[in-house]
Order: sequence, then structure tokens, then C-alpha cells
Amino acid sequence: MVVNMADSDAREAVGDYKAGWHDPENSTIRFDAGLSEKVVRDISELKNEPEWMTEMRVKAFKHFDERPMPTWGNMSMLKQIDFESICYYLRSSKATENDWEDVPEDIRNTFDKLGIPDAEQKWLSGVTAQYESEAVYHSIREDLEKQGVIFLDMDSGLREYEELVKEWFGSVVPYSDNKFSALNTAVWSGGSFIYVPKGVHVELPVQAYFRINAKNMGQFERTLIIADEGSSIHYVEGCTAPTYSTDSLHSAVVELIALPGAHIRYSTVQNWSANVYNLVTKRGIAHEKAKIEWVDGNIGSKLTMKYPSVILKGEGSHAEVISVAYSGSGQHQDAGAKIHHLASNTTSKILSKSISKDGGRGSYRGLVKVSPKAENCKLNVVCDALILDEDSRSDTYPTMEVANPTARCEHEASVSKVSDNQLFYLMSRGHSEEEALALIVNGFFEPFTRELPMEYAVELNKLMALEMEGSIG
Amino acid sequence: MNPEELYLSLDEPDNSDHLWRYSPWKRIHPTGNIREIPSNYKQPNINLSFLDGSDVPNEVSITKEYSKSMKNSFSDQISMSFIESVSQDSKFTFKVKNNTVLEQPVLLRIDSESVNSAINLSIEIGRHCEFELITLIEGEPGWFGLLRKANIGEGSIINDVVVGQMKSGTLLRVDAINIGKDSQVKAGSISSGSEKTKADLRYMMNENGSNLRVLGSILSAERMHIDHHIEIYHDAPETYSRLDWHSACGGNSRTIGTGMLRVSDGSKGADAGQLFRNLLLSKKAEADSIPELEVSEHDVVGCGHGTANGPVDEEQLFYLEARGFSPDDAKDALIAAFLNTTLSEMGSETLHQWLAENLQDELKTLTT
Repeated sequence: MVVNMADSDAREAVGDYKAGWHDPENSTIRFDAGLSEKVVRDISELKNEPEWMTEMRVKAFKHFDERPMPTWGNMSMLKQIDFESICYYLRSSKATENDWEDVPEDIRNTFDKLGIPDAEQKWLSGVTAQYESEAVYHSIREDLEKQGVIFLDMDSGLREYEELVKEWFGSVVPYSDNKFSALNTAVWSGGSFIYVPKGVHVELPVQAYFRINAKNMGQFERTLIIADEGSSIHYVEGCTAPTYSTDSLHSAVVELIALPGAHIRYSTVQNWSANVYNLVTKRGIAHEKAKIEWVDGNIGSKLTMKYPSVILKGEGSHAEVISVAYSGSGQHQDAGAKIHHLASNTTSKILSKSISKDGGRGSYRGLVKVSPKAENCKLNVVCDALILDEDSRSDTYPTMEVANPTARCEHEASVSKVSDNQLFYLMSRGHSEEEALALIVNGFFEPFTRELPMEYAVELNKLMALEMEGSIG
Repeated sequence: MNPEELYLSLDEPDNSDHLWRYSPWKRIHPTGNIREIPSNYKQPNINLSFLDGSDVPNEVSITKEYSKSMKNSFSDQISMSFIESVSQDSKFTFKVKNNTVLEQPVLLRIDSESVNSAINLSIEIGRHCEFELITLIEGEPGWFGLLRKANIGEGSIINDVVVGQMKSGTLLRVDAINIGKDSQVKAGSISSGSEKTKADLRYMMNENGSNLRVLGSILSAERMHIDHHIEIYHDAPETYSRLDWHSACGGNSRTIGTGMLRVSDGSKGADAGQLFRNLLLSKKAEADSIPELEVSEHDVVGCGHGTANGPVDEEQLFYLEARGFSPDDAKDALIAAFLNTTLSEMGSETLHQWLAENLQDELKTLTT
């Protein structure tokens, strides 16, 4: 491992970030930094994509180029993104392997350290591991494959199931949705493509792990999940990156389509290092009686702007967003949720929890909209925030637009500090102040962690205990 | 820079700014041409008396001069500078001397008749005053602007209610209220007239121990568009605020309530809460709420907000109908009770009775 002065400075700045090591960069293809139509066309050509995809990329690039930066959110941080200093495509392996032994050794070591192969054997239906711009490893359990479940990296999905991809790609998040969805559509690489046939229930979760290793890297994966009628799937994603003193950009787009009666749960534990801008567009469409759940944990990154959305298009559909955010020194977690009730008898629930510490800033930004034709909708939004010290900040920006008189909508939010009574209670039973605080924080996050697979929940609790170290005194 | 120069130097506000999200400035501006400042605006009729019509004592006065001691750095510049620009001939100071205690509510009647007009009112309330002020806006203008900048002195207890009852046109109302040390203010807003209402109400608590309750009873019917933006700043220790906003929306109307609660670093012991409730009464009505919260101080008693939307409760209707109410009367009673929850908190019983009687006719328009 090469550690130079800038790295050690950065490490000091971001504290004890466990996934902050990096491997020597060993790329087989690395594009020069900067973005142009040529870069976009080169990526498409390299991947040998069909004409329609190339054209979509180019249109998206033009839209990105013309569209101004958002005039809301943390504009001072957004202004610091230098799009010309970012590398938009970097490949470190020759192909996507389906045997760990065939993955290049240095990359394999990285994922070994992150515990991915171990997890796959124990509790997953399938795994995809993305390193920089491309998936390096991919596997799915044979029995699921036999039932017709498609689980591929997005590039292979486009090659092998072009018609299916053409039908759904960009149907939920068009490139013109926002500046960063345009950027993603222009330069996307990697991500997952999943199709679950009618009536098939994928019992164990499938997992994708995204790792950025290089400096000034942009990772733009694209994920498309289609759950056909009456099927179900749980998709889990994790993300880490090394600690550098220069910034990287992660700008993904995730599209979920839950056809009638289907159920998709999408869980994320985002633990990017504190030099990564995480600007992600995630949206799902739920048809009749379908259910979409986003379980979203934001622990790392410099600036996260992420508002998982659900369009409740079919009657009786349901959406849930459970999110937690931890904002430490220099971090701004601007996360939230959006739900559009377009059909009658639709229900939704948003639970958002955030903790700000060491000058961090946590924001909840949400929108709930009930359209005039959506009768008897019910929705509930709860946001709770804890501020742990005097340098930190918490904001809540919820929007509720209700155009149907039969809707029942509730929103509540509170911001508070850790209760002295709770600390005293735990300390009088033998816990140190630090342990007591970690227990309270884990308890605060409990509605989120109980929705995660157990291995993730344990890891998250450990991570939060680590973040709480040194909080007292 | 004079107000005209300031106004013309400003860019059109972006709709990502929640203040202008649902009512863009172009729609509120009298002509829609935002580069234009109309020059023919007249002074409305103004009358100051007690609620029973008797004269107010010498300690209370309204004069046609403008106080220059007003702090207003927390106002939105577009709407403030625009009203200042069109009210050059209509600047007034409402003044109440120190230690003034009044038993009866004071009524400030502003009648714009049928001409476009605006008023720039500075309100100076001395120390240790206790009284109730009703500002009633009437008339049938095409456009009316009301700018109120107030300094409320230390230890005063004030109930300040503004009733918007214009029969037509657009009302632009801007309030910038400084609340003094240990003073207690109830700020009530009743909006039932005018086709369009845009109100930007801001309250600054930058001295210890101030206490604020903001209350709203909003009736929107027919094709009304009523948009209230309320900002409350906690900028000193031990400050308390509560916002309770009740809107009943019928017809094709739309009501909007956006609130910003800011607790700045150092406001230890701040206790802040806001609650928007919307009652939707027709299929074509819409209610939008954005209750925002920005908290930069961790040592707070609590900061919270909530919003709730719903129809008239079926069980409550059934209960009243079972006791002899007709369906329409039962609905009317529940709407009245919903609006009365905030109305009854705005001040004394005398004030409440006057408000309730004043709003009888408007309540009927909601259900017919």
C-alpha cells in the first residue's frame, strides 16, 4: 500500500474509516479526465452497444451540458465538483468473472477484506461486485437461474436481453429528470439488471457491492430491477471507497418496476469515504397491489443527495421508505423520500432518522403528493433527528401536496438531543458514558436495523459504536 | 439604495425558494410585468378606534410619518421593496407608549375601497404594554399591499390579529416583527377574502425569554388561492414558539402553508413547534404544506413540526347527525369548530366573539 502525505492528511481529516485503504491502481483501460461527447461515444463503442443506447447517451450528455446545477440543497458543496477533473471510465479487469479464483488477485483481496465471498456462501442468492466502472465478479444460485431469474451486471443485461432493457431502461428515471440522471445516462457503466419472472419468490437477498479504488474517479452504475406479477426480491447494496484528499463522484440511477402484486425491497448501506459526492436518483413504479420498500442507510460520503421515490401507479399499491443518516465532521447527508399517490387506495409510510455529530449536517427533504383522482389514500411521515454536539445541525424540509379530500396524511418531525435521563439510567447500571451513548444511538436507529439482513445490522451497529467513540468529553 | 432601485436590481425569485414555489412573484405582482412599478397607488382609508367605536387614549396613536428605527434585515427583499416602492405616499407609524395597558381591543380598519393601494406601516410598541390589536383589511381593490414592521418592547403582552376580508383582488402582506425580551406575543391571521393572498410573515426572537404563538384560521372557497409563508427565528436563549395553522379549503380553492423554523447556534433552551392542519372539503380543493425546520443548536428543549390533512371526520358527522343535526348543519358545525380551535386562542373573549361573528358569512361559503 502506498501512503503519501496527502493520504495521511486525508485520513486524519476523516477519522477512523475502516474501508479507507486503497490498492495500487492497476487499470487496463483508463480514460483521460474530463467529459465530452467523444468520451460518451467512446464508452458506448468500447462496450459495443446498440445504436439506440449510444444515441440515448449522447442526448443525455447534451442535456447534462445544458442543464444548470440545482439551485437548492447545499449549493456551496455542489459548486466544488469539478466535472473536468473526474475520470469517467476506468476498467481494472478484462471481464466479469463468475468464479472468485478468476478475478484478478488484487481486486479479489479487496473484496475478501470486505467479506463479500464469505457473505455470498452464507446468506445470499447472488452477488455482483463492481470495481471502478465495471463488474468484476458475478454469480447467481443455480436454482434461481433455472426458475428464470435473471441477475446480471447491466452491461451483460443489455447484451443478452436487449429488448427487455430497451423497453424499461429510462422509463422510470428519464435522462431529463435532473442533471445527475442525465450524467448517469450519458456515462453509465456497470450496475445490476434483474428480472424476476411471474410468481417467483427469491427468498434470500441478492447483493451488489460497489467499490471505488482510484482517485478522482466517477462511478455511474445503472440498476434496473423488474419484478413481474406476484414475484418478490430483496436487493442489498453496499458501497465503500478509499480515503483520498481529492474528491470522487458517485452518481447512480436505480429504476424499480414492481408489476401487479410484486414486492421489491431495496436495501442500501452506503459507507463511502468522506471525499465522495454521492448524488443518486432512485425511483420505483408500483403497479396494482405491488409493494416497493427502500431501506436506506447513509453513513459515509462528503455530500449525499438522495431521495428514494415511489410512484404509486396501481390501485392498492404500497410504498415504504425507512432511512437513517449519520453526519460526521464535514459531512452533509441531504436525504429523504418522495411518494406520488396517483391511484386510489394507495398507502405509504416514511420513517427517517438522522444523527449529526462533530459539525455534521443532516437534512431530511421529502415530497408526498396525492393527485386529485387518488381516492382514500393514507400516508404517514415521521422524521426524528438527534444533534449530539453544539457544532452540528439538523434540517427538515418536508413538502405535502394533497389534492384529494379523502386522503389522510400525517407528518411529524422532531429534533432533540440525547436525553440526560437515558444516559443517567444506563450509566447507573454500569455502562460508561460512551457505551451508554452508543446504546442510545443504536436504539434510535433500531427501526432501520431491524429491517436489514442480520449480518448488515450487526455491521451497522459496530460501525455506529465506532463513530460514537470519543464523543464524550 | 432607495426601494425602487433595490427592487429593480433584484432577480426574479426562483421557484426552488419555497417562499415562491406555489405563488410565483409574477402571479402576485399587480400587472404580471415584474419590471414595472406602478406609480398611481393611493392611500387607503385608515381608522383607529376601540372595538366598540370609541376613541383610543393618547398613549395610542397613528401618524402619517415613518419610523426609521425599524430593523427588517430578515424580510424577503422582493416583496418588501415592492410595497415600499408603491406606498411612498402611504407611510404610517402606529405607536403605543411604555406601560400602556388597555382593557378593550384596538381596531385598525384599513379600507382600500375599490382602488389599488398599499400601506407601509411601522409599529412601535413600548415596554411593558398590554393590549390587543386587530388590523382589519377591507375593500374591493384589484391589488392591495400591506407591509408591517414592528418592534415590540421588553416585557409587553400583545395579541396582534390581522383579518384579511377584502372582497376581491390580490392581497400581498409582509410582516417583519421583532419580539423584545421577555415579551409575549400572540400573532393571529384570519384570511377569508381576496381571490389571491400571498403573505410572508416573519418573527424574530433575538432577545432572551421571548414567547410567541402564531395562529392561523384560513377559509378558502370558490377559486381562492391563499398562500402563507411563516418564518420564526430563535436567535436567543430560552425562547419559545408555537405555530398552529388551521385551513379549511372548499370549492376550487388552494391553500398553501409553508413554515420555516430556524434555531440558530447559541439559542440554548429554545422550545419550538409548528403544526399545520388542513381540512379538505371538496374534490377540487388542494392543500399544500411545507413545514421546514433548521436547527443549529443541540441544547434545545425540543423542536418539532407536524402537518395533517384529511376530510371531515365521518364518525364525528355521524355523532352529530345521531343527535338531530342535518348533514349540512353537522358539517358546518365541525368546520366551524375546526377553525375555532385556533380562533379562540388568538385573544380575549371579547376579541374572540367579534372574530366569530365577523366570520359567520364566510363560513357559509365553504359549504355552499
